[in-house]
Amino acid sequence: MPEWISIIIRSVILITVLFFFVKWLGAKQLSQLNIFETISGIVLGGIAAFHTVDPYNSFYYALLAMFVWFIAAFTIEKLSLKSKRIRDFTDGKSTVFIQNGKVMEENLKKEGYSTDDLLEKLRNNDQFLVSDVEFAVLEPTGELNVLPKRENRPITLKDLNITPAPDKEPQTVIADGNILLEPLANASLNPTWLEAELEKQNVTIDNVFLGQVDHQGQLFLDLYDDHIAVPEPAQSALLLASMKKCQADLELFALATDNPQAKELYDRNQKRLQEAVRRMEPYLK
Amino acid sequence: MTVGSQVKTCYATLKSIEAGLDLLQASTTEQGLKTTIDETSRLIKIARQDIHQQIIHIDKQEPQYKS
Repeated sequence: MPEWISIIIRSVILITVLFFFVKWLGAKQLSQLNIFETISGIVLGGIAAFHTVDPYNSFYYALLAMFVWFIAAFTIEKLSLKSKRIRDFTDGKSTVFIQNGKVMEENLKKEGYSTDDLLEKLRNNDQFLVSDVEFAVLEPTGELNVLPKRENRPITLKDLNITPAPDKEPQTVIADGNILLEPLANASLNPTWLEAELEKQNVTIDNVFLGQVDHQGQLFLDLYDDHIAVPEPAQSALLLASMKKCQADLELFALATDNPQAKELYDRNQKRLQEAVRRMEPYLK
Repeated sequence: MTVGSQVKTCYATLKSIEAGLDLLQASTTEQGLKTTIDETSRLIKIARQDIHQQIIHIDKQEPQYKS
């Protein structure tokens, strides 16, 4: 067998083997690998590369060596999932750098971090003052995670005592002109509804590049033909606006009339409308 | 526009709001929104009935403007 054919066959087989080994070892990002996983990854690649270009080496040795490294990495990964101790050993532990707003100099020294390194990592997290930081921890991956002090944290709706309307994930129901049945079922809708909705907006399904349904059942469309203007979903905004208008009208009537009985009636209903607007507003915005 | 017809316009808007709420009620699957719509549409219904009484009253007072 000529050498070049041998190299081609070896390459194809080793690529397949390497692909499956790496796939079985899990889909972690390169930066999330621990030391052992990194080493075994490099060695697996090295063995494959070495035996691909050298046609005189025994091919079975390559497979054997790769298999051993794969089994070792695989076992350690599975074991570390089971036991916290093994995990601490293979993955390493996280180190606290700042606690209660105070820098832990001992831990800095242990991890080989200088003041400048610490400040740089803090700046990466948008913290320029050590006094703004309540807690900072160095993860085994070398990433620093920072918890700012309470007053420096971004404001949330909870802080403002606002109850937001619960929000569900939108579903993509049309992609490249095809109806996707599964997401449509997830939004508890059916193709008949979708066809009716498309008819309402006066577009054909072939012209739709992307269609999404939000949690209120409103359909947003993006067309291939960008010259056609599609109305944005405004149903709920319209409803809210007409509620507000009605409330304002009633208030106006109450002010305009001289009859105390009518005034009382308009005022009463104006308040009902106000209450209705207050209740519906978070959902309709 | 007479006061009577203004109030009638407002009555029509109330009816449209009620229908809009019903539509939203039918199209949503979210439990929280469903109960809120229930409460709101009850409020709107009472208001609509109240305004309806007022319209009858106004029509009786000024029959020459009755439409």
